[in-house]
Amino acid sequence: MSSNIAFISTASARAIILSRNEILTGSYCSIKDLCAYEHCTQKCEIIAETKNHLCGNVQSSNVEVLEGELVAGIGEYKIGKNVLLKAMGLGSCVGVILYDPSTCLGGIAHVLLPGVSAEGKTKHAETAIKTMLEEMIRNGARRRKVCAKFAGGAQIFKHMNMEMLKIGDRNIKSVQDTLKEEGIDIVATDTGGNVGRSILFNTIDGSMIIKYSSGKAAWL
Amino acid sequence: MPEFELLNEMEVEVLKELGNIGTGHAATSLSKMLNKYIEISVPEVRIINIANIHEEVYNEVVAGVLFGLEDLTGGNSGYLYIMIPKESADKLVRDMYGMDEVDEEMYGSAVMEAGNILGSAFCDASADFMDLIILPSPPNYAVDMATAIVDGIISQMAQKSDHLILFETTLNSESNIEIDLILLPEEDLFTNIMQILEGL
Repeated sequence: MSSNIAFISTASARAIILSRNEILTGSYCSIKDLCAYEHCTQKCEIIAETKNHLCGNVQSSNVEVLEGELVAGIGEYKIGKNVLLKAMGLGSCVGVILYDPSTCLGGIAHVLLPGVSAEGKTKHAETAIKTMLEEMIRNGARRRKVCAKFAGGAQIFKHMNMEMLKIGDRNIKSVQDTLKEEGIDIVATDTGGNVGRSILFNTIDGSMIIKYSSGKAAWL
Repeated sequence: MPEFELLNEMEVEVLKELGNIGTGHAATSLSKMLNKYIEISVPEVRIINIANIHEEVYNEVVAGVLFGLEDLTGGNSGYLYIMIPKESADKLVRDMYGMDEVDEEMYGSAVMEAGNILGSAFCDASADFMDLIILPSPPNYAVDMATAIVDGIISQMAQKSDHLILFETTLNSESNIEIDLILLPEEDLFTNIMQILEGL
């Protein structure tokens, strides 16, 4: 059994191609919405190029193979190099990505609550970001190079009591404040709204892929 | 707060029985409404850590119904979250109306009604079985990723606890309909449940 996560970057598009035993199991493509081949058919050149590379037919310098994926559960963070980082099913939670492009070391935190945790738990935005940053620096990230992207903080229910209404916004604010305090540049964000999101982060090129529960996707 | 991991086999069995009675009541009500024979599976009960919730529930889109639970004094006891995977919800709605084409509003109201039946049945069961009276609020409804719907609630509770009780059951009519329930007890309710379990 061999499962692969490949990243392909061409002049026209970038895509993450997931496959298992040489069968395509999924893809995230930056031009999906513009693409004429709606469901990425056999005709797709990007998939063909990746496939040829993976099967060893034609080597392509555009294709890189990632070593796997790391998923941050609620209140967790994960760091890694040459991997796909994920935070799934974010509602009012915020997925925070820290990335050092000079070493390609990245981290993702699945933040549940705003503020600081007295017990050092990484459910809280400030604690999570600081703990993750420290661990990244210990693993070779250069502090001055680290930048951030984050997404989430939606409000799924239209009618909820006041406390619930605010939690997404409070999470976003807390993440912003912490990043500002740490002097980390915010490169891209996608927050609020009333639709759930899943976030993927490609540590090879530093792109954040947002998959909405409505089925749409965005590359930031 | 007592730790969830300390549940022994006996206590898990008792929780399972609670789930069993709850879903039993629900199946009877649904069966009457749909005028169809409905079979239920014995529910699985799992205590899950919130960090692992994405491994335990669907990452796909579900029709979710969420209730606040109140005790007799009007205090908040926790939440009940009913998840119906989109495919199952489609079948359920189709069965309830007896037709294929429904608009969004009809869809939502059917899912909420099913949620209401399940939620009330579950609360009935807890009253019958544990003498624990909890009253469900009007339902909140959303179609989204399973964890996205509930993480706002989890954040309310996560200050105190890292765990949830998951009841997983399948309701089978002629078409397979899968429904999962999660009970998110506040500290008081959880302590109550544990005390009752210990007294058995």
